[in-house]
Amino acid sequence: MDTSSVKIILQILHYLFFGYAFASILSYIILSFISSKETIEYIKKRSFVNYKDILSSTISPSITIIAPAYNESLNIVENVRSLLSNHYVNYNVVIVNDGSKDDSLERLIKAYDLEKVHYIVNEKIATKPLRAGIFKSKNPAFEKLMVVDKENGGKADALNMGLNISTSKYVACIDVDCLLLEDALQKMIKPFLEVTDSKVIAAGGVIRIANSCEIRGGKLIDVNLPKNVLVQSQILEYLRAFLLGRMAWSRLNGLLVISGAFGIFDKEIAIAVGGYDTNTVGEDMEIIVRMRRYMEEKGEKYRVSYIPDPLCWTEAPDSYKVFISQRNRWTRGTIETLRKHRKIGFNPKYGWFGLVSYPYWLIFERLAPIFEAIGLIYFIILIVLQEVRWDFAISFFLLAYLFSVVFSIIALYSEELTFHQYKKKGTGFKLVLLSAIEPFVLHPFVLYAAIRGNYDYYFNKKKKWGNMVRKGLVNN
Amino acid sequence: MNKKKIVLAEDNSTLSLLLKFRLEKEGYELFVATDGKQAVDLIESMSPDLILSDIMMPFVSGLEVISHLRNKLNLNTPIIVFSSAGQEEMVLKAFNLGANDFMGKPFSPNELVIRIKRLLGT
Amino acid sequence: MVDYQYIYDYYSNAPHLIQWVWWVSAILATGIVVLAICLKFIRSSLRRKSNEAAKFKTEYEALLIEYLYSGDESGKLTEPQKLIVSKIKDSIKTGFKRKLIVSVLYNLRNEVSGEMSDSIKTFYYETGLIHFAFERLKSKKWNIIAKGIGELRCFGIDEASHAIAPFINHPKSEVRSETHLYMVNLFLFEGLSFLDDLKVSLSEWIQIQLLETLQKFDNQEICDIRPWLNSKNDSVVLFALKLAQIYNQFEVKETLMDLLSHDNKEVRIKTIDVLAHLYGIEAKEMLKANFNELSLEEQISFFKLLEKLVAPDDEPFIEAYLFHKNFEIQLLALKILKEINFDKYIGLTKSSNDNKSLAMVKAVKVL
Repeated sequence: MDTSSVKIILQILHYLFFGYAFASILSYIILSFISSKETIEYIKKRSFVNYKDILSSTISPSITIIAPAYNESLNIVENVRSLLSNHYVNYNVVIVNDGSKDDSLERLIKAYDLEKVHYIVNEKIATKPLRAGIFKSKNPAFEKLMVVDKENGGKADALNMGLNISTSKYVACIDVDCLLLEDALQKMIKPFLEVTDSKVIAAGGVIRIANSCEIRGGKLIDVNLPKNVLVQSQILEYLRAFLLGRMAWSRLNGLLVISGAFGIFDKEIAIAVGGYDTNTVGEDMEIIVRMRRYMEEKGEKYRVSYIPDPLCWTEAPDSYKVFISQRNRWTRGTIETLRKHRKIGFNPKYGWFGLVSYPYWLIFERLAPIFEAIGLIYFIILIVLQEVRWDFAISFFLLAYLFSVVFSIIALYSEELTFHQYKKKGTGFKLVLLSAIEPFVLHPFVLYAAIRGNYDYYFNKKKKWGNMVRKGLVNN
Repeated sequence: MNKKKIVLAEDNSTLSLLLKFRLEKEGYELFVATDGKQAVDLIESMSPDLILSDIMMPFVSGLEVISHLRNKLNLNTPIIVFSSAGQEEMVLKAFNLGANDFMGKPFSPNELVIRIKRLLGT
Repeated sequence: MVDYQYIYDYYSNAPHLIQWVWWVSAILATGIVVLAICLKFIRSSLRRKSNEAAKFKTEYEALLIEYLYSGDESGKLTEPQKLIVSKIKDSIKTGFKRKLIVSVLYNLRNEVSGEMSDSIKTFYYETGLIHFAFERLKSKKWNIIAKGIGELRCFGIDEASHAIAPFINHPKSEVRSETHLYMVNLFLFEGLSFLDDLKVSLSEWIQIQLLETLQKFDNQEICDIRPWLNSKNDSVVLFALKLAQIYNQFEVKETLMDLLSHDNKEVRIKTIDVLAHLYGIEAKEMLKANFNELSLEEQISFFKLLEKLVAPDDEPFIEAYLFHKNFEIQLLALKILKEINFDKYIGLTKSSNDNKSLAMVKAVKVL
């Protein structure tokens, strides 16, 4: 090859990178605008809704909270208490003990006066069999509670068991270690009852980070900003993702993910598509994509809704090791889902879903770390070859960096003007400072974990789950 | 004469204040809790002669307050629960757990005073 | 000075793209500083506001309660009450304080009844808060209108009905909902007449709220719901069906029988549920005869009806479905058979040959 054709290839490569970076920044700008519109609309609507009638009404639709638990004995009793204290009349709680090896079941039996009951399970989705059986409380104060003990089959399998057992119209799938605020169900059920021109098939909630928050007896007493920089950075990252990204996608009806930690589904449709996929580590994304696909193929008008209120609080990893394994898993989940449903991508048959949402996820979420990694490698090669125009490099890095800081700050604004959870004096300054350092303390690890995820997905098939070591939310 | 003690558990601060004024005028000593947890603490520390509790409260519900009082503390202190419309089922449960009387919201404070007097036998 | 010169030279010799990048970076950097400073101001003003709100709230709560307890039998304002009213009149000139006062009144108005509640309403009139609510109805913003209607509903201002009626078919669902709630809260079943002119869908959300509102008032004479059962608006039909069920409308059974052949499946299913509730024996025979033409959901609903209204002569019909492939139908059929002919049911444990069915039969036995 002569030098001129190498030059041309390099030129094309440069344009590709510029084009990608430009498109990605542009998409962020557009999403920010859409999300601000949607947020204002949401706040207006929220300001005068009266939830009181709905929560006390016996004719409001039934909801089952399904919470899979695996070796959660440390906090399970307290967590169940918080699930039972939701302000909604027509709901019940199904704890699926997924073959735990610890004493979770014994603790639950003791704390809630449980006894074994006869219950015929309609096995609409195949799952691992029951182990000790199904339990209910003898105490009428806990009559909403049902505990199901089954053989271990993973989170998706446990959720499927819950879907089989529930007799409600809607199911709320949550992580048992999440702290759910009392008005969570009323708020989440609203879109299902409110929209009349299309069918709402699912609604997702926001996940907030509970590390360092004061929690007493299953209730969130006080919100604090943690000291750990990794956790702080994740808070910022979540704010950005939920308040800017998802808010905008919800307006576009293009949400592809509902956080596995808290989402409500129309049970009939969740079962019609076959429940959760037990062969993926990203079952929470996969089921939404499948449900959407199902509705598109049926040709029915539908929506996936999103409730931005801070209703669900959970513990985020506070060590880089755990963090990386969590993100590694997320990456693999995304790849699996997108690959499994690649038929949708760029397929006009699936309308907006196939032409915008799916490609966006593929290009700007799935492939972003790959592009970034290639870019970095290329940059290193240039350094080695001493071909770097340093003023070019520095100015573009600076630009990219400043953009990321601006987006973080916009997310902070969004938070302050809506939910304003971090009220303490001085926190604002810390959050702004965090926006400035987050690209250095969090982003490299996100990138690393994503690359590892890609590597593991393609070359290390044995790897299944990353372990999340729990410290427990209860600091009584 | 010793004043009779009443614990009032209610998350609506305006209503709490209104009832506090009214009942103090009647010669009772009032302890106000804004959620079920505080109510339980107050009941344990003050050993009141009567308890007024809303059914729907943050965290520990009125039902659990009753259950705690009757089953864990083994006390027979009279309890009146407040319920909102559509909570008939909850009221039944409250009675099963050992509540003595209930008032459906909206209620008249005067009527409440009469019921309290009846339960306290004054 | 040399440095500046160097920077200037660099800048003017750089390609346009790079010049542009430096410019945007400079703008962004300035933007960040400005945004950060503004954020600080926003945060402190929010903090100040919430402190103030808490302070004023306690103040107004105390004032309101003082007002309520200083009334006398005459129904006219006493001197201390007049004093409080004039104090409040001053405060409501600022929007922030007005909102707080209204919210305090709101909180109490929902919880107390009788003279105390009337007294709150008088307070609402006397302080002139009512005029602000009327003003809101004229706003161009939908959320302001909706709030105004909500407020007038809460304080039971029935003279606003003419001003509010035009919003029945408002394009924004929030305004519509508030309007419907206002009508029903103030005029109960009579207020439901807006259903006659309703052109849009009545969402499940608002249906629940309307029914809850109606149930708050005891001993209400329900009006004739037949026109709504025959409405062209399916959501109105569904709502009327709920009314028929809650208020045990035996007299509309005939209309319900007609609805069994309605075009909308949801209506047909709900009708079966309501007929089951109303002991519609007539429906049983009719549905039994057409059973195979029904959709699966209707069939399930029918079995639920049968569970309630079963008679010994239904036994042959039920026997045909003891091994139906649908879980719910099978379960119901088994339960019903167990109920009406236990001996035959016991016989099933011997006769059924596939394992799954046998397990089911045994499971139902111990239920």
